[in-house]
Amino acid sequence: MNDQITIKITDLIGNKLCISAEDGQKVYDKIEQLIRSEKNITISFNNVTMLISLFLNVAIGQLYGSFGEDAIRNQLKVEGLSSDDMELLKHVVDNAKKYYSNQRSYDDAWLEEDDHEE
Amino acid sequence: MRINIGTIKSNYCGFDNIANIAKQTNELFLDSVELNLSLCNFFEANMAAPLYSVVSRLRDDLNDVSIANMLAGVNKILRKNQFLTVFNQSELTDTNQTTLPFKILKLNAGDQFSDYLDTYMRGKGIPVMSEGLAKRFRQSLFEIFLNASIHSDSKSGVFVCGQFYPQKHRMDFTIADAGIGIRENVRKYTGKKKLNSCKAIEWAMTEGNTTKTGRQPGGLGLKLIKDFIHLNKGKIQIVSRYGYFEFSANGESIQKMNNDFPGTCINIEINTEDRSSYCLKSELTSEDIF
Repeated sequence: MNDQITIKITDLIGNKLCISAEDGQKVYDKIEQLIRSEKNITISFNNVTMLISLFLNVAIGQLYGSFGEDAIRNQLKVEGLSSDDMELLKHVVDNAKKYYSNQRSYDDAWLEEDDHEE
Repeated sequence: MRINIGTIKSNYCGFDNIANIAKQTNELFLDSVELNLSLCNFFEANMAAPLYSVVSRLRDDLNDVSIANMLAGVNKILRKNQFLTVFNQSELTDTNQTTLPFKILKLNAGDQFSDYLDTYMRGKGIPVMSEGLAKRFRQSLFEIFLNASIHSDSKSGVFVCGQFYPQKHRMDFTIADAGIGIRENVRKYTGKKKLNSCKAIEWAMTEGNTTKTGRQPGGLGLKLIKDFIHLNKGKIQIVSRYGYFEFSANGESIQKMNNDFPGTCINIEINTEDRSSYCLKSELTSEDIF
């Protein structure tokens, strides 16, 4: 139990570009399965040449809808990210925590606005 | 039908004039349309992308679309950026290499878009930007391109082009589609059937708001781009259906256009002289993040 497993992102998605939601979902599915199996996971972003929030929202942000913050904090590590990409990931994670902690009102926040037909 | 097109610049009037072409030709099917540019003294190269949103809708309806009577200067600009190849006119060599040519890419062509940027951002006329600036610029373009892929529901792909202006030290890059627009996505997502285009753009610009299905978090892309544009003292314009949004060092504005632009277009203009460091010095660890 609790073996340390490294997921090499570029190997898993077969691409150095972390840009698409489909690839993000592939990464999410793998991490989700391993967290459920109580594994410790290192996500390696080595050799990634482009990383955007859209990918990270699906690959990592989405985890906060399935697991508690403690489980994610205890079982997940990242490596191979530049400091600005670490900041991007932090932004994504903070946004996901906010989203799942108050999902309904987050989604509906603008429903009270006036509308004008076009 | 002959449609007269005046000067087209990358501003409210330029986008509204393009949307007006869509309005005038809205009902046409199996017809022919001539875009008459005899009164067009200037056509800003990046506006080829939104113009193609209109052309592609017309071609979807099996109309024969041609372009005619261009003044020499306009013809040169639009041949250099290869836009006129979609009207079967030959391209002109861009000897200065300041143009990122007009291309039609499939919705899922993120890899091709990457190759495109690799090829043309290295033109000899395009200045070497700081590493941090170049990275943030590319990240912004990918966010826009991939968002168009997911949300546009466009049958015709994504239209891209860019232009560097050496005297102004500015580079414009424009990504357009002929899809349903931000308004339709937000209406579907929120259930507000009468939400207007301006309000929908404002909604989409707000951090955390996303129309992505599957109850996933999202809605950071546009906010991050706006933050970047702010630091860079650049400009972003978002046009979608009747909505026109602009953010720059001069402020932020959102206006209703007179005409319905058939899709969404985002133009970002960056200051290529920016020497700000975008490489943050923070030392975040996994523990700090999760």
